[in-house]
Amino acid sequence: MDIKKRLKAMLQEAEIYRSQGLIAEAKSIYKEASEHINSIEKLKNKNSLLNLINSKIVALDETKTRVEKGPAASRELGKKAQDLIKNLFAFSENKDADYAALEGAVALAKFGQFDRAFDELNALIEKDNVRVEAGKNILRCHLAAATSDEAIEQYKKWFLMDIFLPSQLETLRSYLADILQKKGVKASLPSPLTDGERMTSANHETVVSVEPELEEEFLDITSIGITFDSGPQKGRMIEFDVNFQSGNMLSLIISKSDQELIEGLKSGSSLQDIQFYSPIAIFNGAGMVASKTKIKSGPKQGDYCLDIKIVST
Amino acid sequence: MAIFNLKKREIECKVVFYGPGRCGKTTNLEFIFKAYKKQVKGEMVSINTEGDRTLFFDFLPMGLGKIRGCDVRVQLYTVPGQIKYSSTRKLVLRGVDGIVFVADSLEVRREKNMISLKDLQSNLKEYGKSIFQVPLVMQYNKRDLAEQGIPLMPIEQMERDLNRQLKVPSISASAVKGTGVGVTLKECLKQTLKQLQREFKWAQ
Repeated sequence: MDIKKRLKAMLQEAEIYRSQGLIAEAKSIYKEASEHINSIEKLKNKNSLLNLINSKIVALDETKTRVEKGPAASRELGKKAQDLIKNLFAFSENKDADYAALEGAVALAKFGQFDRAFDELNALIEKDNVRVEAGKNILRCHLAAATSDEAIEQYKKWFLMDIFLPSQLETLRSYLADILQKKGVKASLPSPLTDGERMTSANHETVVSVEPELEEEFLDITSIGITFDSGPQKGRMIEFDVNFQSGNMLSLIISKSDQELIEGLKSGSSLQDIQFYSPIAIFNGAGMVASKTKIKSGPKQGDYCLDIKIVST
Repeated sequence: MAIFNLKKREIECKVVFYGPGRCGKTTNLEFIFKAYKKQVKGEMVSINTEGDRTLFFDFLPMGLGKIRGCDVRVQLYTVPGQIKYSSTRKLVLRGVDGIVFVADSLEVRREKNMISLKDLQSNLKEYGKSIFQVPLVMQYNKRDLAEQGIPLMPIEQMERDLNRQLKVPSISASAVKGTGVGVTLKECLKQTLKQLQREFKWAQ
């Protein structure tokens, strides 16, 4: 194929990838085309062609940034969309209206619709049969939407009010205390029961949680997003697939082409802002780079295997 | 899980279009919405999109009319393809009765197809379902791009990559042109209804 035809084919291919929203693929072909042009010494309009390709690459980078930093999936939707979520994702076959309402509110929270979920869960606190479950899910919403402090404040507010019975309040206290302990957050949560009462309550309590995920030791994490606090990637969140997980240790592969990332992620360095994506929840936490190993053979030769230890969630 | 109302002789099932980001899941649904007006029972709803990227899901309700004395309704969903929306994908997959796996025929998307299929398998497993048992149809999308000289994987290669063990029906398609979309849906519904018949024996 002559040079002109080859270049034309490459640019056409890149343009199709761009139109398909395949940003990385388009960029890779544009770069290849750029290298190809540079390697030809006597080419008419060489500079203008290179400038044109460069502008395409810049535009692709802008799109990539927009996609990565675009509106979070958790932004509040309109009422109609929220109603549809409630309708489609409340799976309970329980005919009880309050339980159905609770499931609807939980579905909203799962899709990040926290404002309305809060409203509906707060209304459900008035209902005897779902009061504790509604309370637990309010705490979970605070933990997912904001910080542990808000969940703690919420509990303390309830402690001063007459909404919950002491045994119910103790259930909520112990529920929150467990989560905070796993997150490594120290907090003093006043108990409505004496030590003796607490022991009895713990022995007799059988609470069914609508949302038991956080009580598990470690969720199955499919991918993570690391926000860098220094280096060339400062302020950016980069996502990685998790290739293997063993308890709190996650293994990722970083391509050899991502030199900046490889250099930025030094063994022993701490990662304060990690978003963990599990099939049932998205949550934030911190971790540290436990090891970084260059892969010496196989299809991933030259890439790096990174082990990240989850420190807190 | 399908809802079967024995008294009213109604059955409602859920079909999910799964696949990697940008493979054409929403385009499939858009074509179905336009081409099957008679069967479509409401608007196609796209919940939370960024540009043309699905962040939550698309939803399209359909009615197939009476099949063996039973009124059959189908809810079609797409999942967000981007890796980071894993938890949403799993939520949408809950209670699924049939799946269309939309694979991207572009050579450069080979690995993404395989990752997505693995993701589907693992999400189904978490719901106690086996990918080998769930009604599944494979769609090899974007075949039209060959006309523009774009490198596509040969069907044989896609079969080897994605369908060697599953051995499910596979259909070549161009969702943007509508080619193969109807055939894919019909095949998936056929598989799904067969499975539901085995479970509920509703047609007896």
